[in-house]
Amino acid sequence: MPNLPYHDPFKEERKEHPAIATEFDGDPVAMILGFKEVREAARNYEKFSSDAPFRVPIPREEDVRTVRQYPLEVDPPVHAQYRKIVEPFFKRPTQPEYIARMGKMIGELLAGACQRDSIEVVREFAIPLQSRALTYLLNMPESEAEVWIKWGTHVFRDASGVSKGAEMEAYCNELFDQAEAHPGEDFFSALTQASFEGRPLTRQELLGYANIAFAGGRDTIINTVSTIIAYFAGHPEELNWLRNDPKNIVVAGEELIRYTTPLTHIGRLCPVDTEAYGVPVKAGDLISLCWASANFDETVFQNPETVQLDRKPNPHIAFGNGIHNCLGAAHARLIVRTLLQKLCEMASSITILSETRNVEKEAAYERCNAYAELAVIIQPI
Amino acid sequence: MSQVTFISPQGEKIVVKNAMGNLMEIATEHDVEGIEGNCGGVCSCGTCHVWVEPEWLERVGQASEIERGILNFEDNSNERSRLCCQIEMTDDLDGIVVKVAN
Ligand code: HEM
Ligand code: FES
Repeated sequence: MPNLPYHDPFKEERKEHPAIATEFDGDPVAMILGFKEVREAARNYEKFSSDAPFRVPIPREEDVRTVRQYPLEVDPPVHAQYRKIVEPFFKRPTQPEYIARMGKMIGELLAGACQRDSIEVVREFAIPLQSRALTYLLNMPESEAEVWIKWGTHVFRDASGVSKGAEMEAYCNELFDQAEAHPGEDFFSALTQASFEGRPLTRQELLGYANIAFAGGRDTIINTVSTIIAYFAGHPEELNWLRNDPKNIVVAGEELIRYTTPLTHIGRLCPVDTEAYGVPVKAGDLISLCWASANFDETVFQNPETVQLDRKPNPHIAFGNGIHNCLGAAHARLIVRTLLQKLCEMASSITILSETRNVEKEAAYERCNAYAELAVIIQPI
Repeated sequence: MSQVTFISPQGEKIVVKNAMGNLMEIATEHDVEGIEGNCGGVCSCGTCHVWVEPEWLERVGQASEIERGILNFEDNSNERSRLCCQIEMTDDLDGIVVKVAN
């Protein structure tokens, strides 16, 4: 396959320097590339702060939302309290009923895909999968997924990059109105009843939690699912290997997550003039923690550009590192493991008919991140 | 048969007899608080951090370079820290005691 193995756009730079000076949309950013350096910086919240509404994601998001995201965009000591409020929901993916529902849903989607002559993976498989799975996490009726499916890959921007964040904020406002009037057992109701330092959460805070629940776990999951399907289309022998020994599914899933690293990087704001591994940074400017570079650091991962489904140890940081590590990781891992299990059980081979890659074109690099479109035939067993 | 004792952050002792597999698997099977094992034991998630009781350190052996690199940046890390997914239960470790670090 021409598009494999994945090409690491940070390789040459990383060999020379652990960090580089670059820019995103005209903002200067010091991008940290080395594995050790990214981990270290992710834990240094005094020097590299998350207390920066709209600016933790890169590019900045003032144009697509009006609220600070919780607990992403706060620092200690309040971070722990904000995070604790939602932690119980993010632990749900370890419950046996949850695992069983995920298995049933992905099994049904895949059975449907196998029956079709061909299927467009992003729109007809990954987006419905992601949206339905999210109803389990947020404990919402599965029918609500129909609304979310219509949002497309990105909740904030349409394909041409134009903001559509207002639509989602209006939807979330309605959800919270309903939750306040008739609280149920769902995520939004729980938030309306939560208390922070002895007071209820404000509407801005409520919206900030909802915002990341919808945005953070969307293109990341969609991109991981399409990348996995495309990988096995190109490597049928690997799918057979996994099928013969499904106890490798967990380890293989971690390697596919490392290989995809769907969130390329994330920002931190420097409150005072400082320096990031050789790059000077001015007060108010950003650094970036580049997970995608760290996960291909050859001083830690042997042959990083080759997928080795039995890679172990595999200390990837696709889900971040330190106090802000991904709350949705248990859910995301369950999705990946379940998808692998169902592919082993149900798909004999996958053939790509057409594909368009997503390419992140930035000043310092071009990175392929999954697919804008991926049409395949899935041959059932 | 090998026995392992986990001491939870609250000081509760969980004793597992006939323990098999690595310590993370054993802990999650017995719902030991603070050991989650999210990554399934590939050294990625750090949710299986324990302190090995001093008298067992030598028999458990050294962490690999990769594991050590991870532990260096974990919270509550000290010279007795290990990611317990990297400790395979053997007859030699019969009676081992570890404390949950998270
Ligand atoms: C493969 C899928 C995913 C990947 C690779 C991923 C990646 C990440 C990363 C790298 C961070 C750290 C951000 C930072 O350090 O500032 C993060 C944080 C977060 N993620 Fe995910 N994510 C995924 C799926 C999800 C899902 C499904 C959800 C929920 C619906 C979610 C919700 C969150 C939240 C709430 C945070 C903030 C945690 C905090 O600040 O304490 N993520 N994610
Ligand atoms: S289980 Fe993830 S590091 Fe041990």
